[in-house]
Order: sequence, then C-alpha cells, then structure tokens
Amino acid sequence: MDRSPLPTPSRSDRKGFSVSAVGLVVALVVGACAAGGSAAPVTSSPIPASSSTVAATPSPSPSPEATQPSFPLTITDDEGTSVTIPAQPQRIVSLTPATTEELFALGEGSRLVGDTDSDDYPVAAKSLPHVATFQGVIMEQLVAAQPDLVIAGGDGFTQPADVARIRALGIPVVVIYAATVPAVLTDLRLVGEVAGALPAAAAMTDAMQTRMDAISALAAAEPTHPSVFYEIGVGPDIYAPAQDSFVADMVTRAGGVPVTTGDPDSYTIALEKLVLADPQVIVLGDYDYGTTVADVLKRPGWEHLTAVVDGAVRPVDDTIVTRPGPRLADGLAALALAIDPALVLPADLLPAATPVPSPS
Amino acid sequence: MRVGVAPGRPALGDLAHTATPSWRRPAVVAGVGVIALAVSLLAGIAFGSVSIPLGDTVAILAHRLLGWPVAVTWPASSETIILELRLPRVLMAMFAGGGLAVAGATMQGVLRNPLADPYVLGTASGAALGASLAVLVPIQLGVLGLGLTQLLAFIGAVVAVALVWRLSRASRLGSLTGLLLTGYAVGSLLAAGLAMAMVLSGAQLRQIVFFLLGSLATATWQQVAVAAPLITVGVAVLAWRARALDALMLGDETAAHLGLAVARERVILLACAALVTAAAVATCGLIGFVGLVVPHMVRLVVGPAARPLLPLAAIFGAAFLALADLLARLPGELPVGIVTAVIGAPFFLLILRHVRTGYEL
Repeated sequence: MDRSPLPTPSRSDRKGFSVSAVGLVVALVVGACAAGGSAAPVTSSPIPASSSTVAATPSPSPSPEATQPSFPLTITDDEGTSVTIPAQPQRIVSLTPATTEELFALGEGSRLVGDTDSDDYPVAAKSLPHVATFQGVIMEQLVAAQPDLVIAGGDGFTQPADVARIRALGIPVVVIYAATVPAVLTDLRLVGEVAGALPAAAAMTDAMQTRMDAISALAAAEPTHPSVFYEIGVGPDIYAPAQDSFVADMVTRAGGVPVTTGDPDSYTIALEKLVLADPQVIVLGDYDYGTTVADVLKRPGWEHLTAVVDGAVRPVDDTIVTRPGPRLADGLAALALAIDPALVLPADLLPAATPVPSPS
Repeated sequence: MRVGVAPGRPALGDLAHTATPSWRRPAVVAGVGVIALAVSLLAGIAFGSVSIPLGDTVAILAHRLLGWPVAVTWPASSETIILELRLPRVLMAMFAGGGLAVAGATMQGVLRNPLADPYVLGTASGAALGASLAVLVPIQLGVLGLGLTQLLAFIGAVVAVALVWRLSRASRLGSLTGLLLTGYAVGSLLAAGLAMAMVLSGAQLRQIVFFLLGSLATATWQQVAVAAPLITVGVAVLAWRARALDALMLGDETAAHLGLAVARERVILLACAALVTAAAVATCGLIGFVGLVVPHMVRLVVGPAARPLLPLAAIFGAAFLALADLLARLPGELPVGIVTAVIGAPFFLLILRHVRTGYEL
C-alpha cells in the first residue's frame, strides 16, 4: 500500500489526480464521485498500469487548499453552520470515533483532550478522558477539558441540544456528517483543515481516494455483481442499509448490488421483502456484535435465501466498513473480499489493520 | 376524605384536637425540609462528575454572585461549570421537583385517587408526542432560549389536558370517573402517536428515548428563567386554593354544601397543576416518581390537609429531585428517573411501615 504520496495536487477533493511516490501516474476520473450519492463505482485504471501515462488537466501543482490554513479560520460545517476558529486549536475534543481516529492518523493525537467512550481506535484513544457517552455529552467534563475546538457528529450522532449548549458556552463546534463516500473524504479534509493539519489530511485523503478507486475498479471488473444484503442487525427487526445510504454506497463500490430498505429514511426491512430481494450474498456487519454464520442458517424463513443455500454468508469487520474515518479504504477492501472471495487484490490494496474475521 | 388513627375514624373536627407529636408539626417538618433544601443546593453546586476544590467553589460563588474581591486563582472552566452548568441545573431540579410534587398532590386530591400523578390526565403523553414531533421536524427554532422540543412538549402537555377536560364533560359518567377514563383513553391515543413517531424517527430515536427517561443535564439559565415563573405562579395559586382542595376531597356534594363552586374550583386546580407539570416536563422530560410519592410521604407525616401539604410537598419535592439528580450525575450521567425510583421506592416503603398515621383519599 502506498502511503507516501506527496501533498497531492487537486483542485477539489473530489476531482483530481494523485501522483504516487513511485512515479506511477494513475489517472483518476473521479467525476462519478462528485455526483454526491452516485451509485456507480468510480472508473479508474487499476494500479499499476504503465510506467507513465495520462496527465490531463490540471497540472500537478500544490493546490491552495492543501496549504496550511491561516487562523482565524471560518468554515461552513456539514449542517451549514458558519464556524469561526480564532486560532490554531491546541485542545481538541472529538465527539466521533472517526474524527478521533483521523487526528491520531494525522499525528495530531497529542492535541486531543477528550473523546467519547465508544472511541476504541487507536489504543491511545481509549485512555483519553471520555467526555461523552451514548447518552450524550457530559457537559461538566467537556468544559473541564478546556477545549478550544469541539468536533461533533451530525444527523443526531451528537445530540443537537448538546451542540447548541457547547456553542452557547463560547466553544466553537464543527459538526461533521457524511452520507456518501465522497463526502467522507471531504469531511476528513475538513477536519484536517480546522485542526490546522490540512497538508497531511489532503495527502491522506488523496491516498485513500487512489486506493478506493483502484479497489472499486477491480471489483467492477469482476464478471458478476451479486446482490448483497449487508446485515446491520437482526433482532427481531431486520436492519438493512437505507436506500442511497452510506453503507449502500460502500456495497456498490465494493462490487455488489445492495439490497436496501427501499426508503432513504428507514433502516428496517420486512422479512418478506428480503425474501423477495433474495440476496446472493449476506455480509454480516453485526458479526462483531455477536451474530454468527450459524445463527443466520438457523433463522426461520431464511433457509431458502440464495445466499443461505449457497453458503454465501460472510462476516466483515463492521467498524472499518461503516466508520467514516481513515481506515475506510481498508473497509472497502474487506467488504469487496467479503462480497467476492475470489477477487484478487494486490498487496497494497488489501486491508491493512484488521484481517477479515474467520467464521466460527 | 377520611382521616383516622386506625381503627376509629374521627371526624374532621376532631383532628385539630388530636395530640400531634412535636416532630410531626408542619412547622417542624417545614424546618427539616428547608434544611434538606439548603443541603441539596450546596451539595448540588459543590459536587459533580468533575471535582472542583471546595475552596474554589466557595470563592467562585463569593466572587461572581456576591461581588466579593477574591483573587481569581481557578481556571475559567471551573467558573463555567459552577455558574453555567451546576447552578441552573440544581435550580431547575428544585423547581421541577417542587412543581411536580405539588401537581401530584393536587391531582390526587382532585381525583380522590392515591395512584394519580401529575401525568394522569395526558400531560406525559402529550408532552412526549410534542417533543417527538419536534425531533422529526427538521426545523431549528428557538424562542427565549427554548428549542422546538421544549416548545412543542409544553404545547402538547397543555393541549392534551385541555382535550381530556373537554371530552370528559360530554361523558355521562360521574365527573371524576369520566375524567380519569377520558385521560386514559386520550393518553393511549397519544402514546400510539408517540410510538409511530419513534418508528419514523430513525437515527433521531435516541433523542426521543432520552426525553422519555427525563434528564436535568440540559438545564440552562434561559430554561430556568422561563420555567421557574410558570411553576412558581402555578404552585402559588394552588397553595392559595388549598381550602378548595380540602373541600373537594370531601366529595362533590359535601363541597357544594360547603358553598364551593365545585366545577369552577376543579378547573382552576387542574389547570394550575397542568401548567406546572407542562413547564416541568417541557424542560426536563418525563421524570417519574416525584409527583406520585412525595405527596404521600408528606401526608403520612403531617396528615392529608392541603394547607400544610402543598407547601411541604413543594419543599420536599425540590430537595428530593435535586439530591436524586446529584446522585444521577456523580457516576457520569444516569437518567434521573432511575435514581428517583431506586432511592425513592425503598424510602417510601420504610415510611409506609413505620408511620402510624393513616389516611384515605
């Protein structure tokens, strides 16, 4: 895996080019990504193509965005709120596991002064003061951490009342929410920008973009694209990806055709609809939370599903697939392999951190 | 109302002549309550999930509230925690706890039902439905520092009670039975709406669930500034109308013979109780137990007469909820409803066992 691209030239985070340190130029047509939840996998030429190839517009020169931002910095967060950060933040509280991971990945972990009790990666995140739980922000502890920047999760991940409260106390809050894979990369850059680490973040997201495009291209080149039910949870309701949701987007990029709830706002699917959709592959996103392949085989009504009959029920590490953080490219590779175990990925595209768990 | 030192049931007039142990005199009980209130206020400010040196706490209060010239040696965060987080939170707990206890005592008296609580006529389900609709509607709206959630919860509670009252008048049942059953029916309907809203809420479900559990964690000065006057006015009117409540507990007919405008007084009492409940619920969510049990605790000690009951219920309800909230936030943030039940229920059972007075509603 190539983790060492130079601060890469890109006009915007969604369209652009990456130059790998090895000198292989990979032309990326990332236009498909730019269409916000577009379902089609990104077209690209897989690595490694030939020694030197295409160089389209724009010419590879450091884009203004990849340079260090100057403070005071005013940005618009994912909820449309204009947030001004007076000086480069030195004491950051991260209220989402993905942001915590990213700040550590950017080498800025030492500036974190608090996170949530569900932040589990890297190990250092576990020993930070936890200023929020599933229930919400513990406001006293957040204030005691004396943050000069709080990064929160949108779409209700951090409760809106808590965000309003922190802002009322005069602490800038940037709310992050990405509903699509391209938006995740945009957010990763945004977090880098507000933390004052934009060059590193731009390099990281460009490398992720390159890797994910390459994985998508290989997955797209496979002869068949099975219908995939990504199981978020069962018990007793069946939780499936909502239509056009982030997980559905990931499944598409990993070479599958997602079985969704058919409704962008609903996360449950009736068993009848699942039987009707008859997925060819079931990916167990809830494997980490205790659901085994054997459990699936025992479920009444599931025995005639093609995936069950064919034994195509495979676990995946849900955290890296669904957490919008720096390991998302690993997650895409893991998901692509879970969907199609016959897929051959070059070593630099394989999931790095966590191996795919073996079925028990 | 039947008052008695079992087995005999002396008439109301006899009660005044019954020798009362000194510790059970309302004035003494009130003194104990005020001390408990002061302790819970100080403890609620001094302790929390972050430990701040007691000296700093005292200095911050002296410096900022009393304007004493104290050298600032503490971090700004301590000041924020004491003045912006703990103080409004403790005060909100006191107003909500006191208000709910008085509203509960009133409902129990007016409905002559020991199981009545502030939520019995639909306020809880109305407020919950209002709050959940606010979560579903993607509009950011703020009035007087209150969000859409608080606003719709308040409106939901008030509308629900008004609806129950209006519908119950069409019933041919006795007025109390009609009121209770209408409250139950409307409450069930609203609860179905709430369940539907929860199904539709998707990722926002958590917000609804925490509203249902009740919490004082989000209390702000603005909320105190809006809720406290409403609760104070409602409680004051109820205390002022204590005689009407006493008369209603004798039964509608007796009350009418005593010269009471039964229907009018009942509306006033229920409206005030509903107002107080709506203000408390809108800001703190559904906090159970206080409104049901604190009035009974007070009655078991001083007897069921409304004159001492209502102010004492206010004092003890306030102290009880402030202490429960303190215990809830020490280990992090537990929903306060868990604590009120876990410490309140055994304490209530203890009182039931050891207090020898009896009363019947």
